Amino acid sequence: MNEVRLLLSKDLWIFRNNLLLILRNPLRLIPYGIAGAYFFYMYTQRISGSKEVTSDLNLDAASEVDVAMQNVIGGVTALALFFFLFQLFRATKKNITFFKMADVNLLFTAPVKPENLLLYYMVRTILPSLGGSLLFLAYSGGQLARDFDVDFLGAFFLVVGFALFFFLISPLRFLIYTLHTRFGILEPLRAGVLGVGVVFAALVLLPGFMAPVFYEGMFAWISSPWFDLFPVVGWSRGMMSYFVTGNWLLSLGYLLLYCLTYFAVVKLVIQFSGHYYEDVLESTQSNEDQLEKAKGNKEVTEDAYSLNSKKQLALPEFGVGAKAIYWRNYVQGSRQDFHPLFGLYSIGMAVLGIVLAVLSPFDWFSHKVLYGYLVLLIGFYFMAGIGRANIGDLKKPWFILIPASWSAKYWNMIKLDLIQTVLFAGVLILPAVWIAELNVWLILLFPLGMIFSYLIGLGVNLIPQIGLDEGWDRILIKPLMIGGIILFGLVPTIFFSGLLLGVTGQFVYGLGAGVIGLGLVAALVTHVTMDILKRLEFKEM
Amino acid sequence: MESILSVSHLSKKYEMQNAVQDISFELAGGEVVGLLGPNGAGKSTTMKCIVGLLRKTAGEISIGGYDHLTVEAKRLFSYIPETPYVYDLLTIWEHMQFIAQAYGVKDWKPKALELLELYELEDKQKKLGRDLSKGMRQKLSICCALLPDPQLLFFDEPMIGLDPKAIKNTKNLFKTLKDEGKTILVSTHLIEGVESIADRIMIMKDGQIIGNDSIANLKLQAESGSGLSLEDLFLELTKDE
Repeated sequence: MNEVRLLLSKDLWIFRNNLLLILRNPLRLIPYGIAGAYFFYMYTQRISGSKEVTSDLNLDAASEVDVAMQNVIGGVTALALFFFLFQLFRATKKNITFFKMADVNLLFTAPVKPENLLLYYMVRTILPSLGGSLLFLAYSGGQLARDFDVDFLGAFFLVVGFALFFFLISPLRFLIYTLHTRFGILEPLRAGVLGVGVVFAALVLLPGFMAPVFYEGMFAWISSPWFDLFPVVGWSRGMMSYFVTGNWLLSLGYLLLYCLTYFAVVKLVIQFSGHYYEDVLESTQSNEDQLEKAKGNKEVTEDAYSLNSKKQLALPEFGVGAKAIYWRNYVQGSRQDFHPLFGLYSIGMAVLGIVLAVLSPFDWFSHKVLYGYLVLLIGFYFMAGIGRANIGDLKKPWFILIPASWSAKYWNMIKLDLIQTVLFAGVLILPAVWIAELNVWLILLFPLGMIFSYLIGLGVNLIPQIGLDEGWDRILIKPLMIGGIILFGLVPTIFFSGLLLGVTGQFVYGLGAGVIGLGLVAALVTHVTMDILKRLEFKEM
Repeated sequence: MESILSVSHLSKKYEMQNAVQDISFELAGGEVVGLLGPNGAGKSTTMKCIVGLLRKTAGEISIGGYDHLTVEAKRLFSYIPETPYVYDLLTIWEHMQFIAQAYGVKDWKPKALELLELYELEDKQKKLGRDLSKGMRQKLSICCALLPDPQLLFFDEPMIGLDPKAIKNTKNLFKTLKDEGKTILVSTHLIEGVESIADRIMIMKDGQIIGNDSIANLKLQAESGSGLSLEDLFLELTKDE
């Protein structure tokens, strides 16, 4: 296949040029060196520690349920499952792309077979998955080697299980979108994904309600061994558990299942994708943050998620200078949801919190579920800060040109988000405190926690984008920054929060310590953001 | 003369919007045709449908007798897009090498050097795509398109982003290509970009071709009106009702 040779040589040139770039500026290696040294240190520290006797665990023979272990396995599985379903659901909204716009311009019009291009790029996605898995193994390898007998086969199944989970998501998402464009079956596909989500929710809720205490039973089903048969998520878990079970035949079986599924998915994609160039055009363009430019006039990237993109608005002006940024966000918000200050998703999440508050006084339920939900939301707002769509504001020339101070621009850029956050947090926590008879300090602490968490996420997103010139640096430094903030900011916060919670048995004290910690980290990150914002410059391409 | 490009009843619909509505035209070998129209007229969509970047809703397109989506058809044409995306981490020279491989161009190096010289990129061969200005990317994009020596060339707004010298070079290039018997379809909203070199002009508005004639005839038509220039005629034809 000429196409494979062509693309392989192109990727090798790119790889070589990347290495040359690094060699030209060796200082770029410093953060990676620190990360490498950290991993090495952690690895050696852990491996030299005393070996715990966890390898004697006999999970099958355990007549008494180890709730802690069950919740750890179940929690991780639930997170993976949620991530998996969310990715599939996203595929019903927007297609995934494996391409760059340079591919569109230079390759799509060239005399090459579209299916061969797709096949190459689809297979190539294993590389980042594999790289991430190796990082995961490098980081956790020491711990695992100390607590379990992880031999070569164990390490192999760990890496492969982790990598294949992420690897299979992209082709599956592409297949879903392909089936939609080919047969116009978006609604059944979406219903199918939502249906699986409902079944998954039932798998958590039913055993939870059946157990004497909800949180002790909620993961009873999805942490049980038969759940290993659940496609993708279960297979990876089954494969990776080799270092506990020692059953290589079983892990090999899951690997075979993966191979068969991948083969089937690729065959289906190739069969149904046809002339797919148009399907990937939009997502490729938006990936390169050029949708607005390429389309010529009307559409803006953020509008892709709008509920009311054609809504006619007659908003008054909010003021001059940087307030124009807040006005623009307000208009944007009005088109994205039915109200700019309080949207549909906010209502859904607030209602869920209130339902949990209503249930919490019952004996068969627990306040802990509501507390867990509040903590989850604080974590969620950290992710929301990281994925802030309006970061595109910074890439527009008018953000630099508007005659106002950087602090005013920054404030107006995030003002709408902060108002939305406070309103949402208020609508949730006020009735929840009243219904579930919680400590009134939560009314203050919860919104503060949400805001601090959001600011940390936003800073984590902004600092590498403005401060680092190299795209590769951004991709690689961002996880390190997140890791650093987690290790030196959030872990101590969580530790003191947990300590207070443990000593006092009061959630409000734990949250209070957490919010103070988050506040300190947020102040630091915001200070750095404000400092670095002055270095912002407009890059046309 | 036998047509190298044949578009028959082409339509392109985006959900409820008709971007291109049942257009038909042909390009004879060696012809230079300007596709004119205001912004949003459907010029780029038409071109993207022809080169296969967009799926046509209806109609037939053939290039050199082959369906436009076949590999055989793609060997016959090159496309120079409006926005010149290149690979960030490939040098100019590696782009040329990449295109030479993709199109199976034998003995490509002298031709590549010649093109880079014409567009004043020869001393920037080792520059990475990410370090090029928009104008230089456009030049590289044109060089890449010309390397396979295609019979048919599609230029989508080729003058945008080019400096005056490069614009002059591109116009000269059009003339050279025309003399070599190449067929060119140039999409533009700037009349002066094609007036001096196009044999024929097609004017698009609201997804339809509302004028299709030789420059001479259009000029005659304009002058016999009330002494209008070609630009006046274009504005008259494309004005909103």
